[in-house]
Amino acid sequence: MLAIETKQLKKSYGSSLIVKGIDLIVEQGEIFGFLGRNGAGKSTFINMLTDISKPSFGTYALLGEEGPNDQVKKRIGVMPDYSTFYSSLTAIKHLKFLSSLSGKHVTSDRCKEVLKFVGLESDMNKKTSKYSFGMKKKLGIAQAIIHDPELIFLDEPTSGLDAESVIHIHQLIHNLNKRGKTIFMTSHNLDEVQKLCSRIAIMKEGQIVKIGSMDELRSFYQSTITVKLKHSPIPESEEMHLLQYLKAAGSNLEISNSYIMIDVENENKISQIIRAFTRCKVDVFRVEVEEASLEEIFLEE
Amino acid sequence: MYVLGKNEFYGLFKGVKSIIIIAILLVTSYYSAKFSELLMSGIELTAREAKSIHTAGLLALIIFFGQLFVMSISHDTINRETHERTIRFLVTRTSRSAILMGKFFGSLLFWFVCLAVSFLLISIYSHKLDLFIFSQTMSLLTYQLALTILLSVLIPRPGVTMFLGVIIGIIFPIIGFWITFTSNIWLTWMKFMTPFYYLERDDYTFFVIILLAGMMLFIANLIFRRREC
Repeated sequence: MLAIETKQLKKSYGSSLIVKGIDLIVEQGEIFGFLGRNGAGKSTFINMLTDISKPSFGTYALLGEEGPNDQVKKRIGVMPDYSTFYSSLTAIKHLKFLSSLSGKHVTSDRCKEVLKFVGLESDMNKKTSKYSFGMKKKLGIAQAIIHDPELIFLDEPTSGLDAESVIHIHQLIHNLNKRGKTIFMTSHNLDEVQKLCSRIAIMKEGQIVKIGSMDELRSFYQSTITVKLKHSPIPESEEMHLLQYLKAAGSNLEISNSYIMIDVENENKISQIIRAFTRCKVDVFRVEVEEASLEEIFLEE
Repeated sequence: MYVLGKNEFYGLFKGVKSIIIIAILLVTSYYSAKFSELLMSGIELTAREAKSIHTAGLLALIIFFGQLFVMSISHDTINRETHERTIRFLVTRTSRSAILMGKFFGSLLFWFVCLAVSFLLISIYSHKLDLFIFSQTMSLLTYQLALTILLSVLIPRPGVTMFLGVIIGIIFPIIGFWITFTSNIWLTWMKFMTPFYYLERDDYTFFVIILLAGMMLFIANLIFRRREC
C-alpha cells in the first residue's frame, strides 16, 4: 500500500497557479523530503494533502484511501508550518484534547511519554502561552504523533531551532521511522534532508523538478566521481606503466609528488586503481571521493 | 463532534464574560420571580404570559439582550480558530462539519444549562415549571446562536465580529420587532424570517425558529467546508 499518491494535483489562487500538477508516490516506511525555496509551493502542497486547503484540480490518496477522507485523518499526524496553540491549555491538555479528536483517548502517562520523547518533560504542565518558539515546535511534533499515526507530515520541523534541539528532532524522526512510520517532511535545510531522507523531491515554482534517492540525484547531476589519492613515491621502473594505466582508467588526471587526482565513471574504477597502485608497489595512504552534495544539486536546479 | 462539543461546553464556563452573563440570568430570574406580581400590574401581557409571569421576565431578557449575550461570548467561536490558525489542528483530524456542529451544540448546551438553572430557580418561587416558555426561550437562543456562528464563519476577523456583535445585539431586537408589527407591505414578509413573529404567537410555531436556525447553520457549513484554513 502506498502512503501518498497524488495525480495532477494543482492549486490556484485566482489566476495564479501555485502548485502546477504534481504526480507523486511515497511508499510506506519512507522518510520523504520535500525541498524548495520559499514560495515554491511546498506548504501549499502539504496543506492540500492534509485538508487544510482544497485542491483546485487533481486527486490524491493517503494510505490507500481517496482524499479528503475523514476516516483516514485518524491515521495521519500533521505538524503544520505555523503553529499557535491554545494559550490557556497546558501541553498535556493539548495532547489529550487533540488525541481525542483523532478518536484515540490517551492517558496522562502516554502524554508524558510523548512529551519526554520530544524533550518537553519538564514543561508539560506549563501553559503554552509561556512556551518559547522551540518549545512550540516540539509540542507541534508531539501533537502530530500522540495518536500513534501511520503517516506523519512535518512542515519545517526544525526551522528556527537551536543546534541541540535540531539534533534531538533528527533522532526523533529516525526513531519514528524505525517504528515503521512514514514521514513526509519539508525543509529548507539541505544537510538535514540529505542526512535524514530516503528519497527527496526538489520543488521549483510549483513543480517537482527532480525526485529520487540521494544516489539517484547524484548520478543524474554528476556523471563522474572525482578521486584524490595520497600515495608513497612511485618507483621509477613502474612510473610509465602506472601512468598509462591511469590515463586509460579515467580523465582529468593530475599528478603531484604524493597525490593524484582523477575523474572516474563509477566506484569500481576506484578499487581497480588502488589495486594497480599496490601491484606497482606503491602504498595508498588515503582515498578521498568528491561527490555532488545536495547543495550543489539544489543550486544547479 | 462530541469531543469538540464537550471542549466548547466546558470552555464557555471558564470565561469571565460567561460568568457575568450567568449571573445576570440568575439575578433576573430571581427578581422577576420575586417581584412578578408588581411586574404584572405594570405591563400588558398575554393570558399565557400572565399565567407564567414568573418566567416572562427571563424570556423578555433573552428577547432584548439574548443576541447581545450570545454574540459577546460566541462571536469568535470559528474565526478565532482560523485567525490564530489553531483550526489547522482541528481540520487535520476531523471534518469541518463536525467542527462546526460540535462548537454549535457545545454552546447550545451551555445556554441550555444556564436557562434550565434559571427556570429551576424560578420554579422555587412559582412552584411550577413552564416548559412552553422554556422551549420558546430555548428556540430563540438556538436562532441567536446559529446567527452568531454564521457571522463567525462569514467574517474572518474576531475584532470585526466583536464590534458587529454589539451593534447587531442592540439593533436586532429593535428591527425584528419593528418588522414583526409593521404594516409596510415591502417589509412585512421579512417578519417570517425573524424569531419575534413566532414568539409573539402563543402556539407551537416556535419550531419554525429552530428550522430557521438550521438553515443558517446549513449555510455556515457550506461556506466553512470551502474555506481555506
